[in-house]
Amino acid sequence: MNFNVMFDEEKCKGCTNCMRRCPTQAIRIYKGKAVIDNVRCIHCAECIKICPYEAYSTESVDSKIQQSIKYKIAIPSTTIYGQFPKGTEICNVQNAFLKLGFDYVYDESWAAELISKAIKDKINENKEIRPLISTNCPSVVRLIKFRYPSLLGNLISLEDPMEIAAKLARKRAKEIFNCDDNEIGVFYISPCPAKLLAVTDPIGPNKSSIDRVVPLNTIYGQLYKEVKKQENLCFSNPSLKGIMWAVSGGQSKSAELNNYVSVYGMENIIDVFDEVENGRLFHIDFIEALSCTDGCVGGTFNVENPYVARNNINYIIDHTDENTLQNDDLDKYEEFKNKGIFNLVIADEDEGDFKKHKINIKQAVERIDKIKDILALLPGLDCGSCGAPTCYAQAEDIYDEKSKLIDCVVLRAKLNENKKEEK
Amino acid sequence: MDLLKRLSYHVLSNNFIKAGKGSSDIKSNLKSIGIDSDILRKIAIVCYEAEMNIVIHSLGGNLHCDIYEEKIVILTEDIGPGIPDIELAMTEGFSTAPDSVRELGFGAGMGLPNMKRYSDIFEINSSIKGTNIKMTILL
Repeated sequence: MNFNVMFDEEKCKGCTNCMRRCPTQAIRIYKGKAVIDNVRCIHCAECIKICPYEAYSTESVDSKIQQSIKYKIAIPSTTIYGQFPKGTEICNVQNAFLKLGFDYVYDESWAAELISKAIKDKINENKEIRPLISTNCPSVVRLIKFRYPSLLGNLISLEDPMEIAAKLARKRAKEIFNCDDNEIGVFYISPCPAKLLAVTDPIGPNKSSIDRVVPLNTIYGQLYKEVKKQENLCFSNPSLKGIMWAVSGGQSKSAELNNYVSVYGMENIIDVFDEVENGRLFHIDFIEALSCTDGCVGGTFNVENPYVARNNINYIIDHTDENTLQNDDLDKYEEFKNKGIFNLVIADEDEGDFKKHKINIKQAVERIDKIKDILALLPGLDCGSCGAPTCYAQAEDIYDEKSKLIDCVVLRAKLNENKKEEK
Repeated sequence: MDLLKRLSYHVLSNNFIKAGKGSSDIKSNLKSIGIDSDILRKIAIVCYEAEMNIVIHSLGGNLHCDIYEEKIVILTEDIGPGIPDIELAMTEGFSTAPDSVRELGFGAGMGLPNMKRYSDIFEINSSIKGTNIKMTILL
């Protein structure tokens, strides 16, 4: 598959920055190098953002694969419109993709506008489950699967705009080029590595309609050159309601909700989900939780600072003529809804495995007690020098025989002191 | 069946800084034991409501979580003033929480009803000396 966050072991100095930053404690430092536990990783890219030595990177686009595809469709993410300086001819963006060699462009914002309507309807139709949670951020969905499986039923059963855009784009392209499905390649121009995950490991049982995920920053340079050219002037605009999705709170605003919680940053999201688990948020309709700072504009593949990008997007919303929108899919909301195009079935398998595994409470309690005994021996500084993010995590690792008590630098120093005194 | 472990917490009256710390610790302990997530959510709800009730309505008390092989029991005991009419207090939306507490977003009158709804066995005793609640959740 086309995933991965690449890790360059040579560049890693074992500095523990990523390990400390990781919201699911998926990173350990073994023998001076960072190691990611893929089961725990939710692909939020915090490690990529914080690494001072650029040891983490993402795979770049393989041009050979691009050439072997007959009809290439680009799906620019909603954040792309926040990346250009104010006053840039936004109506050139889609045309610029054609100049880069794509055969057809389907803007994610169009699908986002459709999903906004679907969210509004879903909230009005389904009053049983509260709060409903957005499925837009793959890291958040993964966090729920991994850490809050009891909230899986709260995920709103709607596909995210990326997936819907890909489905509708494929349909369109088949009509336009009169070709087969396998002659088409759909490229998502992504603001973040988590979207890679959504494609390779979708939450639903169905295969993603996206073929490849292209990091936005890898094509930004060429793209911006084309956008600036006056001769490219054309009048294809994004949906203004759709591009709101690029920033935190935009989904809810676009869906015209008034009783929602909008939260970004993994630590904050964990706080909110704890509240949901404690039954404190039954009165809230919708939770829009996004992993990155200020929403998708904070994704690692963006070029512009997230707050500046938000300002750019607001400027576009205020200064663009809505009437120049042209995609007639936007008028087909009812038709798509009735066909069930937006519906998402959430695969239950991960939770299933977890449930089938009948736990032995007695053994589990003994394990916790032993871990706490080990914890009592550790200094409780959470310094991370042993290679685990907290003393508790280290105690667990020692219990699981993945680490040793002597790996603790504080204990080692004490031991050396004692030895000196004995001499 | 034998009691495998008891987790205990002292809960202070009117202290909204520490409020919820006990139930959050119970939740993380049960989570690391590997209690099924749907059951864990029920425990989290009843535990949190019970702890908040001590904070809001009593002069202080204790919160315990007893772990057995086949069930989890959440117990609370608090000091005065007790609940004069338990049946009325069990009504959804009925609340005696003062405005100062409601302003903090608590006291919606769903505490006791939710505790009953999410526990398999719900037992309550109250007098002017205080209130004892025992909530059993079967595993």
